[in-house]
Amino acid sequence: MNSGNRIAEAEHRRLKASYKRRRNIVALIFLLPNLVFFLGFLLLPVISLFWQTFHDGGVLSPMRFVGLENWRKTFADPLVLTTIRNTIVYSLIAIPAVFLLAMIVALAMRTAQHGRSFFKAVIYFPTLQPVLIAALMWTFVLHPDFGALNLVIRIFTGEPVNFLGDPNLALPTIAMVEVWKGLGFWALLFFAGLAALPTEIFQAAELDGAGPVRRFFQHALPLMKPTFFFSVIFATIVNLQLFDSVFVLTDGGPSNATATATWYVYRSLFTFNEPGFGATLAFVLVAVVLVLTAVQTILLKGGGK
Amino acid sequence: MRIEFATRGNRIGRVGRLMSSKTPSLCRTGVASVLVSMGLAISIGTGAIADDHLSGDITMIKGPHSADEHRFEQMIIDDFADVAPNVSVNFTTYDWANMNAQLTTGFASGNPADVLYLVDLIYPNYIEGRALHDMSALVADPDWAGERAAIAPFAWDLATSDEGVWGVPVLGAVYNIFINKDLLEAAGVADTWQNSYADMLDAAKKTTAGDVYGFAARTRTADFAFWDWLPYVHNAGADLLNDDWSGCGLAGAGAATQHLIDLHQAGVTPAVGSMGTQEPFDLFKAGKIAILHGETPQINELLANPPAFDWDVAMAPPGEKGQTVMGNFGILSIAEASENKDAAWAFIQHWASGPQVGRFAEQVSLQVVREDIVGDLFADNPAMSKIQTEFVPRVKGIQPHPQILKVLQSIWPVAEEAYRGNLTGEETIGKMCEIIDGIVG
Repeated sequence: MNSGNRIAEAEHRRLKASYKRRRNIVALIFLLPNLVFFLGFLLLPVISLFWQTFHDGGVLSPMRFVGLENWRKTFADPLVLTTIRNTIVYSLIAIPAVFLLAMIVALAMRTAQHGRSFFKAVIYFPTLQPVLIAALMWTFVLHPDFGALNLVIRIFTGEPVNFLGDPNLALPTIAMVEVWKGLGFWALLFFAGLAALPTEIFQAAELDGAGPVRRFFQHALPLMKPTFFFSVIFATIVNLQLFDSVFVLTDGGPSNATATATWYVYRSLFTFNEPGFGATLAFVLVAVVLVLTAVQTILLKGGGK
Repeated sequence: MRIEFATRGNRIGRVGRLMSSKTPSLCRTGVASVLVSMGLAISIGTGAIADDHLSGDITMIKGPHSADEHRFEQMIIDDFADVAPNVSVNFTTYDWANMNAQLTTGFASGNPADVLYLVDLIYPNYIEGRALHDMSALVADPDWAGERAAIAPFAWDLATSDEGVWGVPVLGAVYNIFINKDLLEAAGVADTWQNSYADMLDAAKKTTAGDVYGFAARTRTADFAFWDWLPYVHNAGADLLNDDWSGCGLAGAGAATQHLIDLHQAGVTPAVGSMGTQEPFDLFKAGKIAILHGETPQINELLANPPAFDWDVAMAPPGEKGQTVMGNFGILSIAEASENKDAAWAFIQHWASGPQVGRFAEQVSLQVVREDIVGDLFADNPAMSKIQTEFVPRVKGIQPHPQILKVLQSIWPVAEEAYRGNLTGEETIGKMCEIIDGIVG
């Protein structure tokens, strides 16, 4: 029996290893298409971009090795700091604002008894708008002379507000446009998170006398932590790459007040034809995103403990 | 290196005279424009000698000078069919605000357009990158000597650098001022506003009332606002770069810049940053702006829909060192990567010929650099005629440094700050010089 058992155990280990190997091979085969895209469209371009940071030219003229010159220029250029600051300030305005509004909308949708599907469709419309269309629409809303919002403001104050032309207002205005565009997406995400919560806990809390506010803060919010965790990280990564609405609405102005990191990368690469400098800026942006994401991950995980 | 735009005489060639006799007016209406152009096309087409040896497809890319750009270009292309019947020309456009990005992408693809219309703001960059074909041998062809001699020498200087000729100069664009004569006369400053910067400010104040602004110039980087600032800089004897292009050349432009700051701080302009290029011009057409910085292609809009007031074109008042006008120049180049350079060169010769470039200049209200047709252009367009004869000789362009676009776009946010009253003229120039020295120093 013992000998038989030993043979069986060895056979079992062999079979187990064989099964694991087969399973890994199958997994790798399924992952292969994605791996090809990951290597071809992410890893290799990133390595190529890093190589570019030590070179000049490469688009119109041959690539030339310049050592750390691009990195020196990056840290010496005051506009780099301005763009990083603008990007972070924008994110600090846009992310909390869109999360707060999206949660209110999600709660309203969850509570609504009628027209929920219609409301969900309507709230998602802005997210579907191409940036150019959205920018044109907002121009007709915000313009100091003929903007609809300014017509209303003039009735009360007599003076129009130069939303996109005032350095103090331009970045918050861009954030407002982005919040408007992203509200539908985040509202539906939060709504899905709320809908997935177990209803028994809320029923029990209600029976214990907890009001809606207490139920939300003591039960719903803690239970939605995984959703928030994903949302904060995702929103940070997306918002730190703000480009299109800046490009269309202000082109970085006025006085570089809306110049963001990605906008400066684009300008360096294409307008000024400085691929090495642009590549270095892109790497700095990646570093900022990584650091901020890491900090958020640590803080959010720490909060969970 | 200083670039001056100065016409040297009015030699009118045979083709120029032929064109002028068959070009009765600037196109006041679309129908008239088409009929005139068709007439010209016939006259040009019948006189051409077809070159059957050329064949294949070529592409031309250009920024639009008119909403009818494609229609006007098609006229030139249709006429080219008489010159090279076996060559097919595709025309496409880039947009001015993103021209560098679009052209660079084309060059990077390895398949750029064969023929490129490039302005002095960007082509030095492509020359430096050797993306353009050296046309020295082509333009030196004895058979083309007469045509070459018709183009002003200063224009050839612009297209020549690094021991090569990188394009054929064809057009100039002048940045003028539009004035509402009725508003200036009503304020009693019609005869004095242009005497000095102080008189200009005084006129702007006196004409400002209610929803009428006394003065407007572009203020945003995206609208190339620096074009409206540069004549004041040049009038002060300064320029963006110093003589050897090794650093800032703006010393001396503080007072001129302060004048523009004062205008924007006097409550006589639209809010800084609130308007682009078209909006103030629309206000001007509505009689709401007395003195407006603009561009000559806008003259066509005033002719097509005459406003209910008398208007004229003008230049900025004289400064300490003179009275200049800002202008840009465009050249037609061949991409080094072009696989059909012979056909591209044939098309450039055709495009740059007196009848073709003259007709196009009249259609879009731009200036030509051919001296042989200058005298006959814009015969029925007093505003453009005035610009061609009085303004063009005073034009001072930009210094075609490979990084001049970066210089202009990098310093302009400082001017925006200044126009908002946050900097003095001298402080503005100081900050701009720091940026310029960092770029070219």
